[in-house]
Amino acid sequence: MNPLRVLLAAIGLALAGCGAVQEDVREAGGDAGAPRGGITLAEARAFSEFPLVYAGESVLGYPLGAILRREDTVRYVSFIYGDCEPAALEGGCAPPIEIQVWPSGARNLGSYGETAPRSAWGSPALEPTTVRGLPAAYVGDDQLELYAGTSTVVVFSASRARGLAVAARLRCLREDARAPPARLAC
Amino acid sequence: MVLAFAPILAGAARAHLDSSDRYTHGSCPARTENRVDPINVVFHSWGTWGRAVSQIESHLGWTTTSGTSQSFVEHGKCQSLHAQRASGHGTRFHVRLRGQHPDGALGWTTTAAAHHEDLVLFPPCGHAVDESGPGGSGFDQARDELRARFAGAGHATSAVWWGNTQSFKQCDGDYAGSDGWAVFIELHQVNHS
Repeated sequence: MNPLRVLLAAIGLALAGCGAVQEDVREAGGDAGAPRGGITLAEARAFSEFPLVYAGESVLGYPLGAILRREDTVRYVSFIYGDCEPAALEGGCAPPIEIQVWPSGARNLGSYGETAPRSAWGSPALEPTTVRGLPAAYVGDDQLELYAGTSTVVVFSASRARGLAVAARLRCLREDARAPPARLAC
Repeated sequence: MVLAFAPILAGAARAHLDSSDRYTHGSCPARTENRVDPINVVFHSWGTWGRAVSQIESHLGWTTTSGTSQSFVEHGKCQSLHAQRASGHGTRFHVRLRGQHPDGALGWTTTAAAHHEDLVLFPPCGHAVDESGPGGSGFDQARDELRARFAGAGHATSAVWWGNTQSFKQCDGDYAGSDGWAVFIELHQVNHS
């Protein structure tokens, strides 16, 4: 275990012994490693608000590690592939591959630059393309967005080649065909 | 003297706010794999990092300076933060800032990565950004707190879709991500004492 975390544990135990742990300090135990906002694959298959796509139970050697459903200020379902180790004490880490599926009404090609002239407000530049017969766009090299009718699929990965490789393996979750169809349509 | 500064001034005039990398990094060089937090606030007009810090301290009372360093990328250069401020040491709001090149339309700019984080002690962990809640993730909550408090003090604010919604695993095993909106906050010239 990281020495900093050992130190933190000692401080925590000391504070607990004194009854001085702040009320808003959250205990993270009991999760058994699963993110609290996570859903199961069966729950994702039963999801019906908008069509979900994913890349199977593993992609490019990375197993499907978590499925997140966010429904607060935004709505999407996220498939996390692979794992990473956050740095000690502060800061998160980016998993190797993430596929987010949004309702197209909430996220689409028009989302970028729709609120103000792009040049004036620094909205990121898009590079339109076509992937599997769908309109798509790169936002930098590591974010590929596919505009698939009623859903928008966002692939985060380390490179364009990897993003395209993931996109080639996307399939509709409810149908869950063994081989990805030539044209992605759920 | 004027001639000596001419190349610098010309460079500044050509510069613009670079939103091509919309995340902080744990180290340099910046790679997708060492991303840490989404950038979700831009201070502009008189938005030097010193003014941003002064006005954060004044309007929000975030004066704590503790926290680990992170790096920002602008025009291909990866550089360490200029400053960070937090609302305390335990569970807290926290923002890291890096001054950027002046922008032809926006003026002086500073980009910032803000979040609300819990201090997680059991199991030993550290600071973990809130996953989700009625006000969004910890990233969204802190950004909106900055926007609300600056707006309440008379600063103009607006929101721009940046789409930087990648999820980040926290030390407690949860994932947190931005909702993809960056808030732009106009700063004035005068600092607060």
